[in-house]
Amino acid sequence: MALPFVIETNSLVKTYGTQNALNGVNLKVAPGAIGLLGPNGAGKSTFMKCLLQLLPITSGSAKLLGGEVGTEGREIRKRVGYTPEQDCHIPGMVGCEYVTYCAELCGLPFQVARQRAHEMLDFVGMGQERYRKIDTYSTGMKQRLKLAQAIVHDPEIVFLDEPTNGLDPKGQAQILELIHSLWHTYGITVVVSSHLLHDVDRICEQIIIIARGTVLVHDTLENLKASKKGSAEVVVADRHEALRAACLLKQWPCELLPNGHLKVEHNADSLNPLLHVMRELKMAPLEIIPSPNALEETFVQALEISNATA
Amino acid sequence: MPLHDASYKHWDGVHLGLWHRRLAITRNGLTGCLQNKLTRHLVVTCWITALIVSGLLFIIGQLLVADSVVVKWVSNLSPQLQVFVQLLTSWLEKHPEISVRTTQNILFYYYSVYLMRVSIFALGMAIPLLITSDLASKAIIIYSSKAVSRGDYLLGKFCTAFGLVALTWFGPICAAWLVGNLLSPDWHFFWHSRAALGHILLFGISCMTILSSLAMGISALSKQPKSTAAFWFIWWILGGVLTEIALKSKPWLAHLSFNYDLEQLALATFNIGSDIKTAQENIPILGDMLMRISKATMDALNNPSTSGALLSLVVMINIAAWTVNRRVKPE
Repeated sequence: MALPFVIETNSLVKTYGTQNALNGVNLKVAPGAIGLLGPNGAGKSTFMKCLLQLLPITSGSAKLLGGEVGTEGREIRKRVGYTPEQDCHIPGMVGCEYVTYCAELCGLPFQVARQRAHEMLDFVGMGQERYRKIDTYSTGMKQRLKLAQAIVHDPEIVFLDEPTNGLDPKGQAQILELIHSLWHTYGITVVVSSHLLHDVDRICEQIIIIARGTVLVHDTLENLKASKKGSAEVVVADRHEALRAACLLKQWPCELLPNGHLKVEHNADSLNPLLHVMRELKMAPLEIIPSPNALEETFVQALEISNATA
Repeated sequence: MPLHDASYKHWDGVHLGLWHRRLAITRNGLTGCLQNKLTRHLVVTCWITALIVSGLLFIIGQLLVADSVVVKWVSNLSPQLQVFVQLLTSWLEKHPEISVRTTQNILFYYYSVYLMRVSIFALGMAIPLLITSDLASKAIIIYSSKAVSRGDYLLGKFCTAFGLVALTWFGPICAAWLVGNLLSPDWHFFWHSRAALGHILLFGISCMTILSSLAMGISALSKQPKSTAAFWFIWWILGGVLTEIALKSKPWLAHLSFNYDLEQLALATFNIGSDIKTAQENIPILGDMLMRISKATMDALNNPSTSGALLSLVVMINIAAWTVNRRVKPE
């Protein structure tokens, strides 16, 4: 039976000496693709580590997949995957041995572990390099390997800490595509911690913004975008200037972006007025991205409020 | 692009228990240790010495029976040897308990102390692979994010060290005792050598535990593999040198050497001072030869510093446990 909430925290506090890393976090998170956003040092990684019992909780309580973190940690971790931000592998091992070993540590029998290790390495797109020592891997390969070890035991939830760190744009797109498929195709809840809004915008449907150890925003991306209506990015094949002129005629601020998209501030709740203008011009849009900066605006706004109240 | 289906597949099998996961850590650790060529050679050498000791026990066993092939062969070599062997075997047949017990106890004492040194050397090479390399590569985070606790991880690593000592010491000794007695001319040898087996088990298991604990502590000292290995070897070698000096001036200083402490425990466990005394008093000819052992040596054999050694080892183990507890944390 699917749980209504995969993460539940109640006044979760984590302190390092006199500094509060988490300041009474109260959350109830439903399954899905969840983006954990915040500036560096906001408490994202600490929050994840507390849930995984990598760090002891100072006070409050937390439940992960319905189990009490702290008393049922080992049993919970059988159903949880984690890719840490930094490189942490077992030295001297080759890729497939490492993933097999990680599966065994979660209780899979050796034969099954070995088979699944190869399946997961296929899934993350690793070829013959799986037979090489991990110490010789590039950053991209290490990120793929980290993802493979996190999902090899078929977890119900996967925590990914900065999964695209150090990757080139192509590598980033591939990893994000894999992560996206985990929830949308295979039903595995993913929690992606990142300070890259664009990454989160692409794959997540729930957003949690943390700053100074406090949850500032917890909502769906759809709701956040709905609250920031009134702008859109339009992709057209040609006649950019004609569309721009028509928008300016309606007194809608319009800007041609370096990527060739037109950013239009139409100030309406729906895209209908913009579509009407394009129909008049007999133009067919290739793509319209509504509220393209909703996440960024929400993020900045939340941080400003947080800074003002601090 | 893989030619086969590369999509994600769910798994709904049954998870194995906790001991399987701990065993996986131990197996992985031992496999890592045995990837070192020198360690593999050491293990093979230890098992070869076990075969040699078994052969020695076979010859000793044959000497204890008057009509055995070995006795006949030795008797044919010279008339003097014939008289000596006849005298010896007739006496040994009358006192099998003393002869078998004493011989095997002394033999296994020396064999234990010899293999203990080999084990210490093997552990020195394995120390960087126990905890040091995991600290350096932050692999502790990976372990801690799986379905094992810190205690499970440490237990698995402890069993790795324990297993290595078993491969280079405890296993060969037990095998030598078993094979040596299986090759003996009489099943009563098993019964008469029970004391030697008891001493092997008592000293072996306690010593394996102590050495494994100390190795864990040293391994957790640093993230630098060379540093931890060097520390172990320096402690061992300097301890040996210090013991020689300390015994002449300040004997308590000798207890800083874990090797000395373990040797004192071996003396106390095997109690070979008493065995040599029994041999001196009872075994003809051989006893006379043993009378040449100096009084100082006999005093050292008869009065091992057991309490000092135990106290020192307990302190060392506690320091090792404290180090491990302090150093091995996911963050």
